[in-house]
Amino acid sequence: MAQFKQWALEYVLSDDEPVQLDIARKAAKEIESSRASSTVVGGWAASVQQWMTPAHADDDQMDDGDEGGSGDIIARAKVLRLIGFFGSMFSYDHKAGITASAKALRQLYSMKAFKPDMGVKILDDVCKIKDDFRLQTAATRLELYELFLSLVQDPAVASELRHKYGPSCGFVLDLLQVCQSERDPRNLMVWFKILALLLTDYDPTPEVTDEVFKVFSAYFPISLRTSATPIGITAEDLKEAVRSCFSAHQRVASLAFPFLIQKLDQGDAVTVSVKVDILKSIKACIEQYDNPQASVVPYIEKIWNSLKYEVRNGEVKETIDATLEVLRAIARKLDGTKTHKLDASSLKAYVDLVSRDCQPDLSNPTYTKQAGLLYMTVVTANIRAYALYNASFIDTIRQNLRQPKSPVHTRDLILLLNSLLKTRTELFRDRKQGHADDENTLREEIRSHLDTLFHDVYLPVWTSKSKESTSDERDVLKQVMQGLALLVSQQILQSDETPALLCPASICSEICSLLTLTLTRSLTLSSNDNDADDTTLEDEAVSALRTIAMNYTDGYTEFADRATAEIKKRDWNNPSEYSLNALKELLSRFSFIGCSEIPSNIATEPPSQKQFSPLQHFITLTASLLELFPLSSQPSSTSAAALANATVISSLHASIIWFRDACETKYGKEALGSQTDGSQNWLDEFRQLPEDWLSQLCQGSGVVLPALEESDPKVYAEFLKLGLFTVRYLYRSAAAGPRATWSERALVQLSQMTALVVQSLDEKLQVACNLADQAVNLFLAPDEKAAQPEAGVDEGILTLGILQGLWPGALAGLYKPGGEAQRLMCDTSKLGPSPSRESDIRAAIGAILANKYKGGPSTSDPDSIVMKAVLDFWATYLTTSTAPSSPTDSTFPAYNTIAMNVLSAAAARQDKHLLPLIPTLHAAAASPHPAGETVASSLGLLLTPNPLLTAANHATVKRFHKQWTYAHLAKPLLPLAQPTPSGDKLLATRYRIAVLAVVGNCPLAVYQDDLPALIKLLVTALSDREGIDLDETAAGQVSAALGVLVEILAHEPEAVRGYIREIVGGATKVYRDCSPASYVSPSGAAGCRGLALQVLGAVAGRFEERHVLAYAPATQRMLAVACGDPARKVREVARRARAGWAKIG
Amino acid sequence: MERDLDNANPTILSVSQLPSRRRKGPAARHGPDSRCDALVYPKHHWPFASSSSPSSDDDDGDDADEPVDAQDVYDLISTISDPEHPHTLGQLSVVRLPDIHLSPSPAELPSPDSLLTVLVELTPTINHCSLATVIGLAVRCRLEQTLPPNYRVDVRMKDGSHAQDDQVNKQLGDKERVAAALENDTLQRMVDKMLETCA
Repeated sequence: MAQFKQWALEYVLSDDEPVQLDIARKAAKEIESSRASSTVVGGWAASVQQWMTPAHADDDQMDDGDEGGSGDIIARAKVLRLIGFFGSMFSYDHKAGITASAKALRQLYSMKAFKPDMGVKILDDVCKIKDDFRLQTAATRLELYELFLSLVQDPAVASELRHKYGPSCGFVLDLLQVCQSERDPRNLMVWFKILALLLTDYDPTPEVTDEVFKVFSAYFPISLRTSATPIGITAEDLKEAVRSCFSAHQRVASLAFPFLIQKLDQGDAVTVSVKVDILKSIKACIEQYDNPQASVVPYIEKIWNSLKYEVRNGEVKETIDATLEVLRAIARKLDGTKTHKLDASSLKAYVDLVSRDCQPDLSNPTYTKQAGLLYMTVVTANIRAYALYNASFIDTIRQNLRQPKSPVHTRDLILLLNSLLKTRTELFRDRKQGHADDENTLREEIRSHLDTLFHDVYLPVWTSKSKESTSDERDVLKQVMQGLALLVSQQILQSDETPALLCPASICSEICSLLTLTLTRSLTLSSNDNDADDTTLEDEAVSALRTIAMNYTDGYTEFADRATAEIKKRDWNNPSEYSLNALKELLSRFSFIGCSEIPSNIATEPPSQKQFSPLQHFITLTASLLELFPLSSQPSSTSAAALANATVISSLHASIIWFRDACETKYGKEALGSQTDGSQNWLDEFRQLPEDWLSQLCQGSGVVLPALEESDPKVYAEFLKLGLFTVRYLYRSAAAGPRATWSERALVQLSQMTALVVQSLDEKLQVACNLADQAVNLFLAPDEKAAQPEAGVDEGILTLGILQGLWPGALAGLYKPGGEAQRLMCDTSKLGPSPSRESDIRAAIGAILANKYKGGPSTSDPDSIVMKAVLDFWATYLTTSTAPSSPTDSTFPAYNTIAMNVLSAAAARQDKHLLPLIPTLHAAAASPHPAGETVASSLGLLLTPNPLLTAANHATVKRFHKQWTYAHLAKPLLPLAQPTPSGDKLLATRYRIAVLAVVGNCPLAVYQDDLPALIKLLVTALSDREGIDLDETAAGQVSAALGVLVEILAHEPEAVRGYIREIVGGATKVYRDCSPASYVSPSGAAGCRGLALQVLGAVAGRFEERHVLAYAPATQRMLAVACGDPARKVREVARRARAGWAKIG
Repeated sequence: MERDLDNANPTILSVSQLPSRRRKGPAARHGPDSRCDALVYPKHHWPFASSSSPSSDDDDGDDADEPVDAQDVYDLISTISDPEHPHTLGQLSVVRLPDIHLSPSPAELPSPDSLLTVLVELTPTINHCSLATVIGLAVRCRLEQTLPPNYRVDVRMKDGSHAQDDQVNKQLGDKERVAAALENDTLQRMVDKMLETCA
């Protein structure tokens, strides 16, 4: 039965003939196939019956058999009849039918045969529901709202409605009556849309407008109760919807503005969110209404009088911001649009109104900031207002600055001036986006009052405040500095459309020297006269000078000359700590000011002597620093002099970092690859250039760089070229020049700087410049190189710098069998007894070469001969050194470290040639020779992350290399390391040391599956040092075991529940044994004690009381004593552990 | 009904004004140019240490011997909350660094187990503070929970800082009375609440 009803409905509603036929067929089939056919036929009849009104029941117009030319008319009549039928539902109290009828009507509206006049009828019919509408469910009402909306926004229906009702819009009143008390948020969203449409599209009479306004304004301010079942509509959506009604058409202006302002003027009764809602609504009205002369102008005074207090006396940022937005919107509206400018009179009247109220307030310190904010917002809203009024605004500020009431007053006034300049910059920048007149206005702007700002305003304030040092005065000075930077960066349009700086070069230069003085002062003062604690003033000067240097490019040269002169004046052969710090500060700022951004090419008056280049600041800085270096030529006499030299290199390094970052920000990381063809050998070009090329460039003589604009991505490549030149110059000086000037610190900085330059070059360029060879030759010609004595560490540091930055592909040339790489990786020439600088460097070089090695098919070394040879070499070395018969060698630990670093780097890329080596490593670790213990305890190095192997250095570190190494190296040893009464004790001990060294460097996830076997080793390690000769090994095993226990207790405490007694006992023993006077080094001992207490603390928190209760008294006593531990860090851990244990028992 | 506060408007110090253990060496730089300081002026200039054992450069002095001093004791008790204001005793200057005395100084102890007395003198915010005893009790509890057993704790009101300092001192100095006070659930809860803010 229900099926037939559904089909009947679908049939009637369907527009499509095949669909109708299909439904008929389905019904027929159903009847045929049923057993009790009479019932089914009855059901069918009933379902069809309801669609036939008695009068027309026999009318064959319903019959689809009739086909002919009159189809459209028939369909139309049918639709009309259906509309009549469903529409009539709303006249009677037919509760159940409303939803269905509404749905049906919407369906009918979408049919082809629907005609606009039917829409009018639907509206008529539906409105008959009158007050019963409220009684319908929200879903039904939504259905009807959707129906209304579809009809009202249909242009054809709309024109029919207008035609029928005229401007009196009778249907609107009916609609309003029906829908006026809606409360459901979903329905309201549609209803507000309908109301807005009625206002915009239907041209209603003032009376009707009034009625419509009453309906939606009654909802203002709208809010939404939070509900447990979210409906997908927020309070903000509702506010927006109401707002769009207010701003729908200027015909409600006379109602909306007074209404909103009256709401705002209710005073404290209005909450912040409502206030913001009102302000946003006013803004929307101002922005949306057409014909501002009639719709906005009459209300401006009212709006202003009401709004000004929101800012003048306001405290809440949101309302202040929203108010300023409204005021700005008015100014923009009065200016006109991009295509059509309005007459200036209204704008003038508006700004006059504002300035009349604000000007007196500027002399009152309490209101200066607020009044200035109001005034400025209006003046800087557009270029026309700015051009008309900025002079008088600045004049007012100037007058007030002559008689400031307090430092805070001065600060606020300067702040206003700065804001005005800042906005001018923005207006200037966006000048092309507005009306064409705007640009002309800017070109013809009167600027005499801006020209005199420096001498009339900023300089007098600076002079009067720079002597004082209260925090208020310093604040004023900071503002002045910001203002000076803004002043220098102001631009004007020249007659040929190009921008130029507003201030003449002489003023810019004066400003520069003023700020420079602030920065060089600390170098000229003695430490007693300089309170270095608060550097905010200097920092502000740095930011200001940076802005200036980017706009007025000559300023940086002036700064550089001044700074270098000041530095040169001093004797750096034995500087004090204060002087060193002052040097560091100055040079660090020197780099930042010139290199943290790419300068812009802006003309000055008179024009600069120098041709503009985006790289000119970088060149100036580099040339100046190279000229300064070395500050002291006999630094070996004192380490302070060496530090001064190193500071210069550090600053060069910093300048490369800054400029590289600036390039990547401006041109993107990919800029380099697209700008170089990779075939140029820059080093060949460098050989043609004089050594002092950079200072020649700086002076504008010699071979010049290609002319570049600041937006050209080629700047990046040119910068790296200059960087490489600098690096080459310094390498040559370090490798072939006097060694004394180069301290280890300076060399390391140079090496890091080189790594940065080299790693920024792409692989093709590295290959073209043959940088791999330079890693060995250090940019010296072979004959120059041969003349140099071998200088182990220094040379190694330099080599490392280049190797670090190279791509694996660019290194291929070194990996020849028996070649340089192999020599460096297997270097066993003389070394000191324990790890030293020499072994560190060799280990680092070995690690990098081993990691960047690329062997295997499709490479020049298809069988990986070189790597195999290197690995074999170290395997043999370890085997021989740990053979029981070999003599004890004190240098073994150093070589062992190198070996482990080489293997570790190969393990990082999971080199499969490492696997055959593992049994050798196990055997070496197990050897009874004392060297075996060293091998066992150093196996952890295979997993220690090497800081040199990073993605930036183009190293290969596989994601799961730790898992890989653990599985092959440590896991097979787990069963062998277990203590057994019968087994070889030494063997087990050595294996345990090896396993712990590895596990201690792995995250828990790596060894999580082997916890049961591992925990026994951990417990043994805590209490047993039998068979361990070296104190370091014992300490290493204990701290590794404790570290692993801390991890396990934090994440998998259940795994150790059976061992609580052993762990508590072991940790307590470790704490006692690691006293400061024990076998471990003092710092290592404190570390062990801390870890032991951490383990104890973790035990207390992780288990139920019954498991730990037995150990509570002893542990509590021990922890109480530990609270007096000599090391502060340990005491902290002890207190935490003690608090945890205090809760037990 | 909420009880009237003894002192409705105490002077409060900000956290930065409290005495603390300042970092050694020159302060880190904060200017706009200091962003790459970590790279160009690294703390340890040798970045290539290849073995896992700490080299002598790594010793930054944190693990060297640092016997307990007045600042340590101050750090322990200055973070206790005041029972009536949402501030700590340090911020209210109830606990002050110069009023903490250790005798003999821990650095001069003949043996780690010899006895040592910590004397803490409290300054109530007003001289008729009815909560002085509770504050004293909390300080005492905190110190007993965190100092090793060879430290004897003596908490007193500073001379003249409290109208009835004799009585309060007597109460705080009497072991029996302290133990009895902590038997009282309400008092114990109050003390626990005050100690919640101690790290």
